[in-house]
Amino acid sequence: MGSGVNMLCFAASYSIALALEVSGLWTRARIRRAALLVAALAGVVAHTWYLGKRAVEAPAAPLASYQDWYVLAAWALAVIYLGAKFYYAKSSMGLFLLPVVLGLIGASRYAATVPLATFQSPRAWGRIHGVLLMLGTVAVLLGFVAGLMYLIQSYRLKHKLSTHSALRLPSLEWLERANSRALRAAAMLVGGGFFAGVLSRLAQQGEQNFIPWTDPVVVSLMAMLLWLVVAEVFRLLYPAARQGRKVAYLTLAAFLFLLLVLVTVTFSDTLHTPDWSPSAEPTHGGTL
Amino acid sequence: MNLRVVGCTHHEANLDVRQRLAFDRAEAATALADWQSLFPNTELVLLCTCNRVELYAAAAKRGDAPDPEKLIEALIGARQLSRKVVASEWLSLIDSAVVEHLFRVAASLESMVIGESQILAQVKQAYRVAQETGVSGPLMHELFQSALHTAKRVSGESSLHKHRVSIPSVAIAELASCVFETFDDKHVLVIGAGKMADETLRYLREAGQARIHVVNRSRERGESLAKKWAGQFHPWKNLWDQLSLADLAISTSGASESIVSAVDFRAHVVPRRHQRPMFILDLALPRDFDPAVGDALGVYLYSLDDLDRACQRNREARAAELPVAERIIAEEAGKFLAQLRHRASVPVITGLRAGLERPKSSELERLFQRLPHLDEQEKREIQQFADRLVNKMLHPPLESLRDASRNGNPHGLLDALRRLFKLED
Repeated sequence: MGSGVNMLCFAASYSIALALEVSGLWTRARIRRAALLVAALAGVVAHTWYLGKRAVEAPAAPLASYQDWYVLAAWALAVIYLGAKFYYAKSSMGLFLLPVVLGLIGASRYAATVPLATFQSPRAWGRIHGVLLMLGTVAVLLGFVAGLMYLIQSYRLKHKLSTHSALRLPSLEWLERANSRALRAAAMLVGGGFFAGVLSRLAQQGEQNFIPWTDPVVVSLMAMLLWLVVAEVFRLLYPAARQGRKVAYLTLAAFLFLLLVLVTVTFSDTLHTPDWSPSAEPTHGGTL
Repeated sequence: MNLRVVGCTHHEANLDVRQRLAFDRAEAATALADWQSLFPNTELVLLCTCNRVELYAAAAKRGDAPDPEKLIEALIGARQLSRKVVASEWLSLIDSAVVEHLFRVAASLESMVIGESQILAQVKQAYRVAQETGVSGPLMHELFQSALHTAKRVSGESSLHKHRVSIPSVAIAELASCVFETFDDKHVLVIGAGKMADETLRYLREAGQARIHVVNRSRERGESLAKKWAGQFHPWKNLWDQLSLADLAISTSGASESIVSAVDFRAHVVPRRHQRPMFILDLALPRDFDPAVGDALGVYLYSLDDLDRACQRNREARAAELPVAERIIAEEAGKFLAQLRHRASVPVITGLRAGLERPKSSELERLFQRLPHLDEQEKREIQQFADRLVNKMLHPPLESLRDASRNGNPHGLLDALRRLFKLED
């Protein structure tokens, strides 16, 4: 109950911040910016408090369950949003970042709350696996947001639409750099997370000491990793893919792969459940 | 209130006339010093910009306020011009209209380009010159301080000044900055050496230290422009090489037909750029770039028409901010005028109070002499009763005076009070 109220608190704060961001398309009152910062800051504080509380309650938290994993990824993005709001106060980045934050919090309601099996494997590998994949997810989502903003900004410039409107976006150069970095970071983090997961499995004893290559979670994660690696190699070998809209398209495609992984993990994961065996039933659908 | 302003602005006179009437800083100081002897007991400020020459005058007493006609004669006399030659119509305002006019001028609502920011510095300088010459006083101080305060409020509370309206400033500060985060490391190619290129480079230099390369048919003019902006000149035959390297291209060649066709651009430039973003400002008329060049991936091509449309959007955005600015000006002018009128009523209030205080004191003295048995406490009570009575008697006329100051001209009421209570000036 307590955790539900807390999630509602920071989700409500982020929703208010998003509503204020949307209202910025029509009004630029000073009080709006101050209220926005207060709402975002309140959300991050409540969010941090919630994760801290979870860490005290569950020994492996804040990565003890899929729900924690989603909430932690949302927290990382919310902190990045807050930082961006201080550095680029007039930017409309929140219109793109906050829906992703709220989406992750919303998805966490459907994610399993049962402890992840990796907790039972050697602790270090399990932790590394979870943290790297979570950071990889954050990188892909940031790349997606930057890619989306790039395409909108590029469209506005190409079609000579007003760029001095209420929707204020960073320059194409900035967005392109953010895209490239996000893509590279995502490839490294997801790759690292994947191999840490493989090692975590191999380090286990008995029946679980093998890699279920045909498991939907493994397959979807491998597909995303493959795409990220191919995209990175493509960028290195083909100069036109290092700049402009192509980088944006690569990050948008990476987001689609991420969605596939998240849907698979949320609704048909049998791999990370404590009583996993090749014939086990999935334990998704955790509630608060 | 004894305020006057005379002069001529871009509304009344053309540039030639304004130039003949113009004063530089030293000339303004000399003229102000000369006028002080013509208009004793009058505070003066001369505001002189490209678009206006205005002489402000203020006097503490109504009789000292100079005749506007004499001010106009002084103004044209200082430039040794005939009145008919200078302008058929003159700006001539008095009292509250002066306040509103100066507030509008300082907030750049009277400027040729509404919302331009230079006027504020020019108003400040005009007041400073008057101050240094010793011809301004407390009235001008308050008037100009209020005008500057109003201008700052307009600037802070409206977006009037935030929308750029000149083509080079829109091109660099609004459009090119949407493509590039910084201009410091950018390869800027200038095609042609026209005036517009020079103006655009000025804005570009303010935005960052870009590497400037000039390609021009005339070596002499091209080198001169490159030298002025610490850039590098390239002969015309290197146009395609330079276009392949450029991040930002500014074209002002003045050629009679386009110099970069879409076919040539696709053949010579596109394969070498690998879709690297390129921002092209085609400031030439007729266009230097075929509009189809803008279809290439990563190329953002803006012609003069596109930039003019962006400027027009900004002009409209400024116009939309006008009601906010007008409201602030009306508010501040009202506040200033109320203060000024209230100050005019201070001698009357002082006289009224003194007129009642005197009989009160003498009556109390007489009463205390007739009632010697009163102790200190009783005397204090009687004293307080008398004070309260005087205050209550003064309250209605003072309240009426305050209302009159707030809502309009209190001179009628002030005269009536002077006559009723036989108050001296």
